[in-house]
Amino acid sequence: MDFNDLMPLLSFWIGQIGDLGLDLLWRFIHIVVSLWHIVSGIFEAILSNAISLGLIQKYSAIDIEKLRCLAVVVDIEVARDVSKVIDLLQWLKTIGVKQVGLFDSQGLLKKSKDMILEMVPGSMLLQETGEKDISPDRKGIIDIEFISSSDNKEAVVKAANILLEKHLKSNNHPEKDEEGDNVFTESHLNEALRVVGENVRVPDLMLVYGPVRSHLGFPAWRLRYTEIVHMGSLKYMRYGSLLKAIHKFTGVRQNYGV
Amino acid sequence: MLSLVSIFLTCLALILIPCLFIFRRPSFPLFLKKIIIFINTTASQYNDEEERYGTIGEKGKRGRMPKHVGIILDGNRRWANKRGLRVSEGHEAGARTVLEHAMDCFAMGINTLSLFAFSTENWGRPDGEVNFLMAMFEKNFKSEMAYFDRYKVKISVIGKRTNMPQSLLGLIHEVEEATKNYKEKHLIMALDYSGRFDILQACKSLAEKTKNGLIQVEDINESMIDKELMTSCSEYPNPDLLIRTSGEQRISNFFLWQSAYTELYFSNVLWPDFGEAEYLKALTWYQQRQRRFGRRV
Repeated sequence: MDFNDLMPLLSFWIGQIGDLGLDLLWRFIHIVVSLWHIVSGIFEAILSNAISLGLIQKYSAIDIEKLRCLAVVVDIEVARDVSKVIDLLQWLKTIGVKQVGLFDSQGLLKKSKDMILEMVPGSMLLQETGEKDISPDRKGIIDIEFISSSDNKEAVVKAANILLEKHLKSNNHPEKDEEGDNVFTESHLNEALRVVGENVRVPDLMLVYGPVRSHLGFPAWRLRYTEIVHMGSLKYMRYGSLLKAIHKFTGVRQNYGV
Repeated sequence: MLSLVSIFLTCLALILIPCLFIFRRPSFPLFLKKIIIFINTTASQYNDEEERYGTIGEKGKRGRMPKHVGIILDGNRRWANKRGLRVSEGHEAGARTVLEHAMDCFAMGINTLSLFAFSTENWGRPDGEVNFLMAMFEKNFKSEMAYFDRYKVKISVIGKRTNMPQSLLGLIHEVEEATKNYKEKHLIMALDYSGRFDILQACKSLAEKTKNGLIQVEDINESMIDKELMTSCSEYPNPDLLIRTSGEQRISNFFLWQSAYTELYFSNVLWPDFGEAEYLKALTWYQQRQRRFGRRV
């Protein structure tokens, strides 16, 4: 075997060794990031336990008035464990949260709404109260809204059909049309969503419980300026972490793009 | 011999990798670029396997790359304030970061990169800042058109466009026309974009089609709205990963409809400082999400 035959073989082996080294390197990047997450998780656990025990003063007084509407997104795998959801709602009520929108993509919590409302003292279904009843004097009351994926894109399609019919009517009878050509504005879609029975209130804060850091199909129209916080697994939820997330939200100052 | 080399590379990695996360700007750009090229090769190998066999093992999930990444470019003004610079200098630094790293993203195997550069709400900023931003977009489209053409990057601009200067609109049209046939790499610039407006214009577009008899009212459904959204210009309209820089944890009216199952990654780094190490961290994080929770929700 002469030198010319050896060269391609050598190049091949050098390439293989290089690839193996890079593979090992990429695995180690993953190991380092995993270790970082483990250490952060341990630190978080210690901190939230300290908060739960009232050892950290700044979390003992929260300006809850700033949090007018809270959304809680629950992964479907954990939505089946309604007892955890009930515990969470009781904690939220203790903190002083007045309105909560509970979301899971499949509507499992909607199916259990009667049980949830019964098990959480002082809870009322949001539709029964309406927005005008939400006042600071209603102490100890928590309004709960149950939301699923059908309230997202499906609802927008229904609302779009309403606007569409309005648009077609205004084209057929221009003399009767007071609004002019444009029925496709945000306020019109808001109104159409209300007509199909949807709440258009934008949550101030969204807590996501589950393995995925995603809002999992929460009504898109309502998400514009919502703060989104991933809380981890509902199974291992901690009161201290909840307090910390809400406290952090009360310190956020939004400029709304301006 | 092979094992000795592997051991040597492993020790090198143990020393060098922590540096990636300690120092913002690693001093081994060539080294990182090698990793990026390797990831791209591995990712395409595993994506092919998944398409062929419909399954992917743990090892494969590690190599999976997002096809569409969205980035909310936040923090230019704070970056400038921290350094005692003018706001315009912060925006210029942000634009340099876009141009420096766009090609790295495509080298990693990302097909579509969407950048939220200017929202509809941003028109409310001081006139001086807005005028500067419009001029900067114009300057960069002009100067980088040849670059994107050379590297076969398709450029699309999504947004309202009603308040933009005519000169900028003309340039946008020129760049889009010049690059419309490229497929492998797609850069979407969201200028004067609003997620709510995107949904409304999709509804309006369907209304026009119904009025013209092209479709029936009863046929309108979610997938029809999907096709009318501005992101329908992309082969992958829904982002797999959405990154927001500067520590804010909201999507601020970006891709509201499209982000239902998008992984959300919030980085504390200000946009002009978002470099290779931060990209690697975001992508590693994304791959870990896939590895642990690969089940479909």
